[in-house]
Amino acid sequence: MKSLKRIATLAAIAAGCLGLAALPAQAQSGPIRIGSTLALTGPLSATALVHKLVGEIYVEDLNSRGGLLGRKVEWTVKDDQSKPEVARTLYEQLVTSDKVDLLMGPYATGAILSAMGVAQRYNKILIHHTMGIPSLAKYDMHFPAWSLGPDPGTTVPNTLFDALAALPKPPKTVAIVTSKFPSLHFLSLGAREVAKKRGLQEVLFLEWEFGNRDFGPIAARVKDAKPDLVFVGDIGLEGNMLLEAMKKIDYEPPLHFHLYPAPGPMATAPETKNALSVTIFEEHAPYTNNPVAAKFVATYNARAKAAGFPYTKVEVQAAASFTAWQLLEAAVVATKSLDDRKLADWLKANQVPTIQGTLRFDKGNNFGDDLMRIKQVQNGNWVTVWPKAWAAPGATIKTQ
Amino acid sequence: MNKVILSGIFAIGAAFAALPWLGVPAFWESFLYLLFHWIILAVSWNILSGYTGYFSFGHGAFFGAGIYGSAYLAGTIGWPFLATLPAAILVAAALGVGLGAVVFRVARVRGELFALLTLAITFVLATIILNTKIDGGPGIYLIGVDIPKLGPSQSASIYMMGLVAAVVTLAISYIIYASKFGTGLFAIHDDEDVAEVMGVPTYRYKLYALAISCGLAGLAGGIHAVFISYVTVSETFSIAVPLSVVLMSILGGSRHWIGPAVGAVFITCLLYFFTSGDYAVFGRAMVGLILVIVILFMPSGVLGMIAQWWRGRTRPAAAVSPPVHEAAPTAAIVRLAAKPAPSTDVLLQVRGLTKAFAGLRAVDNVTLEVRKGEILGLIGPNGSGKSTFINLVSGHFKPTAGEIIFEGQNLAGLDAHRFAQAGIARTYQIPRPFSQMTVLENVAMVAMFGGAGMSRTEALQAAEEFIAFAGLSQRAHALPDDLNLHQRKFLELARALAARPRLLMLDEVLSGLTPSEINEAIEMIQRIRDRGTTIIFVEHVMRAVMALTDRIVVLNYGAMIAQGNATDVMNEDSVKAAYLGKAHA
Repeated sequence: MKSLKRIATLAAIAAGCLGLAALPAQAQSGPIRIGSTLALTGPLSATALVHKLVGEIYVEDLNSRGGLLGRKVEWTVKDDQSKPEVARTLYEQLVTSDKVDLLMGPYATGAILSAMGVAQRYNKILIHHTMGIPSLAKYDMHFPAWSLGPDPGTTVPNTLFDALAALPKPPKTVAIVTSKFPSLHFLSLGAREVAKKRGLQEVLFLEWEFGNRDFGPIAARVKDAKPDLVFVGDIGLEGNMLLEAMKKIDYEPPLHFHLYPAPGPMATAPETKNALSVTIFEEHAPYTNNPVAAKFVATYNARAKAAGFPYTKVEVQAAASFTAWQLLEAAVVATKSLDDRKLADWLKANQVPTIQGTLRFDKGNNFGDDLMRIKQVQNGNWVTVWPKAWAAPGATIKTQ
Repeated sequence: MNKVILSGIFAIGAAFAALPWLGVPAFWESFLYLLFHWIILAVSWNILSGYTGYFSFGHGAFFGAGIYGSAYLAGTIGWPFLATLPAAILVAAALGVGLGAVVFRVARVRGELFALLTLAITFVLATIILNTKIDGGPGIYLIGVDIPKLGPSQSASIYMMGLVAAVVTLAISYIIYASKFGTGLFAIHDDEDVAEVMGVPTYRYKLYALAISCGLAGLAGGIHAVFISYVTVSETFSIAVPLSVVLMSILGGSRHWIGPAVGAVFITCLLYFFTSGDYAVFGRAMVGLILVIVILFMPSGVLGMIAQWWRGRTRPAAAVSPPVHEAAPTAAIVRLAAKPAPSTDVLLQVRGLTKAFAGLRAVDNVTLEVRKGEILGLIGPNGSGKSTFINLVSGHFKPTAGEIIFEGQNLAGLDAHRFAQAGIARTYQIPRPFSQMTVLENVAMVAMFGGAGMSRTEALQAAEEFIAFAGLSQRAHALPDDLNLHQRKFLELARALAARPRLLMLDEVLSGLTPSEINEAIEMIQRIRDRGTTIIFVEHVMRAVMALTDRIVVLNYGAMIAQGNATDVMNEDSVKAAYLGKAHA
């Protein structure tokens, strides 16, 4: 009979799950309810927790300023477990069962596309943080907070090569090595084309599968190719592993660029000296000349430290997340409405000042300008080095 | 097969089909779709791995083959989506059959080796897809793909596809479970070698099960491609898919047709219950803890535990009724009927039969005949080759040389199940019943696959007769582990008889029995022969050999050293020397 009791208990849990999911929709008055999912557990959780903290900071600040349209803002965030199919179902729940007023996007391209499909079916505006492949975003009411531009495969490599062309001794040869992770791969392929057009000689092109841990053979091939520049299409710790492998064979690339490295480990490891990457925001002037940005940086630093984050500075992910909330607030305040269509129309027609610069959404697939800048590890910190207008005071690109 | 259950599956499916028109929040379609998705994957995994015991960690590969089959055809080439689903099924099934056709031929690729091999297939397939035009790196985007209108909305259409696939999967799972095919798969699970010897075409059955399992996983993948709408290699071929389905199946009960579905519903609901952002990590830890506790206390799964509890309630006292016969036996060996005169017709002819193991000739050029209706004693010292001979004539071993001509057909080199189907049955010296089948199921299984070749229904009826014959009626629903040695030996006999063999080989059925049990067994063997069955009787209990056999053959070091009348043969010097050794005075 004890076994039967166990079954009954488990059945009750399952029933509870269904029952809770079926809670009646809350009334339309009262707080403005904004719903989203984040990969709070699973392989993407380390970065998603940054977005959760930024969202909490922003909503708290927003409510301290009186909320939106005179109403308190309530943010419901659910855990999509790093699975796009769960993200889709949770967004369905947010829209059709929880009946939230507005949506905020999830983290990672797969989940964003899942959420975008739901938003499209229910005509909801979807502002999202860091979607890496603009060509996939076809919905006319989606708005990217990460200002990649509509064709980052061309514009991002051009920004990099522009920066390097300004060096006293610009690179003439390039090795392009890349993960086959979708949002990296197309940028690396774009870099090949751009390099070719700009007259850089490609001395090596290699790919590895996402999840690879053995970078020794790749490091050896790069060393043999003797490139002036190594363009690394990496994400997370891949770049660190490649540089460690290079160090083991006593090789230090003259110039090395990394697409989406883990910011903390890439800034602090000894072998990552002078690593280049892309950014939209770093914790220095001129970004922090904006008082909103300065306040956010101070708050984020303290809260991230308290939360035990391994990297407590504001960089791309946190800045994009903050920007997304800025866009939503700007649209609601300007239109004095929660109507999704009105908000979308306003965003399409206007430019929004944010902590990463002024964003607009009038180009392909609702992307606007490519605001990606080049940053470099200098003395254990990331500093923007290009373009000069956004460079840290006195910072220039360092070479060996 | 219980048609009520089958009708119930379709009726419940029809009820769920009404959901999109009931006006409930569309989220339910999405959530229920996820339930259907995991039900299909877990139940399809179970058709191979639960039923046969071939634990696969490669279900993600077959699921992925289906996803990419549909995604590539619909997203890249532009096929109509519905047309891609049969392709997804075929691609996944073909992949499975290709794999199975190779690995199922290798007897040592079982257990963990099979699990690792299937896991490796996942990585190989992911690498191929990532490095070819099928994907090439960027993934496949499916938002623009037209989804056939099967409901009032796009979500409802996907829901309907998931529902239909889940209903079909459950129906297939039940039909297999309740069929002769399913019984064969369960026999493979419990003891594949014995299953083959009892007549199950194990290779073919495993291949069929794998094809069905993979095809259904491919179908789940094909539908899922449009549900997630953006397909990438890293997410598709994640280890999470096979781990989840294994967990679901074990939790629900992998021995039952609906067990994995129960596990799939339980785990999916549990995971969904803990999606609140405030306690996400705590929630996931709780899910893990709950699963650990459930599995610890219910190792055979929810349905396994229920079945165990039910058996415990209905289990009668562990008494053994005496074997069914016309007159009660006395303590002495008494023949119930006159010893029938054996025919001169030859039933089995063995010519030059040889089996060598790395140079050791365990059976060496043996030539003998077995006549219809006789009991031929096969004796010899330990290691003389008797059991190897039985293994050869039952097809368990393939001979190195020689012929095994049974009723005019040379069976040498054929698979063991062909021997059983031809009418040859055997018992094992150490009983090898199918451990998770009841006594009744053990006997019925042989009636289905042995020489009798009965349908499942006929076999179950016939099994009761043979169980009664062996005096095991009151233990019909017990598992073999609950039987004592005597009962297990008699189960071996009942099982062999259920095959309705024309040749029965008894391998030391009397060893380990008490004198009175031996008498009982001897009397039963007499009655078996009296039913017209020819018997090869391997035994060390010489009083039984002398009492039962018409002729005896003596093996020593694999070679036949004597044959003929029992009394005469036992007096031959070569036989005495084989048993007692030569005098070197």
